[in-house]
Amino acid sequence: MDVIVSRSGGIAGIRLTWRVDVDTQPDPDRWYVLIRAIPWEQPPPVPPEPDRYVYRIRCEPHEDTPAEPHEATLAERQLTGPWRELVERVREAAEPQRGGGTGGATRRRPTTRGG
Amino acid sequence: MTRMPRPTPLRPAAPHAIVPPWLLDRIAEAAEPRFPIASEAARRSLLRDRPMRELRNAAEPPPFLQHEHEHEHDHDHEHDGHEHEPPAATVLGEAPEPDRRISDAEGEETLPGRLVRREGQPETGDASVDEAYDGLGETFRLFTRVYGRDAIDEAGGTLEATVHFGDRYDNAFWDGERMVFGDGDGEVFQGFTNSLSVIGHELAHGLTERTARLRYEGQSGALNEHVSDVFGALVEQYAMGQDAEAATWLIGEGVFTPAVEGRALRSLLEPGTAYDDDVLGRDPQPAHFRDYIDTAEDNGGVHLNSGIPNRAFALAARELGGFAWEHVGRIWYDTLTSGRLRPDDGFLVFAAETLRAAEQRFGVGSREARAVESGWREVGIEPRARRA
Repeated sequence: MDVIVSRSGGIAGIRLTWRVDVDTQPDPDRWYVLIRAIPWEQPPPVPPEPDRYVYRIRCEPHEDTPAEPHEATLAERQLTGPWRELVERVREAAEPQRGGGTGGATRRRPTTRGG
Repeated sequence: MTRMPRPTPLRPAAPHAIVPPWLLDRIAEAAEPRFPIASEAARRSLLRDRPMRELRNAAEPPPFLQHEHEHEHDHDHEHDGHEHEPPAATVLGEAPEPDRRISDAEGEETLPGRLVRREGQPETGDASVDEAYDGLGETFRLFTRVYGRDAIDEAGGTLEATVHFGDRYDNAFWDGERMVFGDGDGEVFQGFTNSLSVIGHELAHGLTERTARLRYEGQSGALNEHVSDVFGALVEQYAMGQDAEAATWLIGEGVFTPAVEGRALRSLLEPGTAYDDDVLGRDPQPAHFRDYIDTAEDNGGVHLNSGIPNRAFALAARELGGFAWEHVGRIWYDTLTSGRLRPDDGFLVFAAETLRAAEQRFGVGSREARAVESGWREVGIEPRARRA
């Protein structure tokens, strides 16, 4: 299982991504327990605060494994309890990669935007 | 690198201005019946020159005015045992004073932290505390003296900041009530309080919250970010006395360590050029609406797409020349406070409103209105498409 944390926002608007393959860690069981403890379906709702970070957390199981995928996006202030613990673990276990800021999204002209 | 202006020292020093402020003041006050034009000009000069005069350490008034000067200022010193520079006598009335409170989070993430410097208290020696204090003062000056706003909340409210937030926290933000500054990690970021544009940016989030309330997501969020970059830049320009040509139009110059290949966090004039570093990557901001970034991250790319309206503003300011806070800045302030913006408004509506505000203040077909219009067009936004 890969756990990927993407942090965006902040006043600098710089995107960082950390990726950990849990199965190669010294204590994979502790990781799985933590992942299961997280209320993926109910992230605490908190409106975004200007210039605070946004965390996108994904769990991508390897092929042919029984684990479930998960995904959640949290505002910095929501990052408490097991959410925070998982992110901190990921950040300790991996070096951040600096992204180009687009988060894999496309540059295209919006059609109906304009307010 | 942004140089923070030093506060005026108490010892009188030789003036560098040709006409010292006390004489301008005299002219403004006493000349009016006979010389109304001179009186008005002196008044405007006081308004415009004040930040630069303070930088140049204005002299004390000469002996024959000394008793008047003293008489006007033996009130208001309830501050405990400090050296407080009294506001200079001025026909602008009592010079509005901020009420600043700086707290120290001491490396933790609990807010507000410990109160370490109140309004009027002397420098603490902690650079982050003192830089935040000075920067709040500069932001206050712009909003009160140029836009006539009584503090962020219009009621003379307190300006609050917390420094030393978190452990090597690489960020600064506005939490709804205060500005919060991390120390930076020392590798990429060396701190955030040493940048006037960052301080102005954060406080301007409070302004937006009290006025247009642009929702921090998608296009309205990019506009929210844009407004903060605009007033961040204007705080710096006002403090430095820089016109649109001399201004750097950079946000966060000086927050990077020397190891980073970058000038600043962002460039309003040339989005996408602020940094290009093998560790940080390249500044990803678009400079034209055709390059709008559709993303789920960063609340819909609010720090990215702000580049588009930023460039429109900077272009309009440079087209007009002179001090940007007086024309385009004023138009933007009028737009924010017009009561006509909705929290979900996007680029087109905002642009239309700025054009409307420009026409209202400066006239239909005025230089200012035309500059605003062409600024938006250059970044691919047609401000007449949605008539305000």
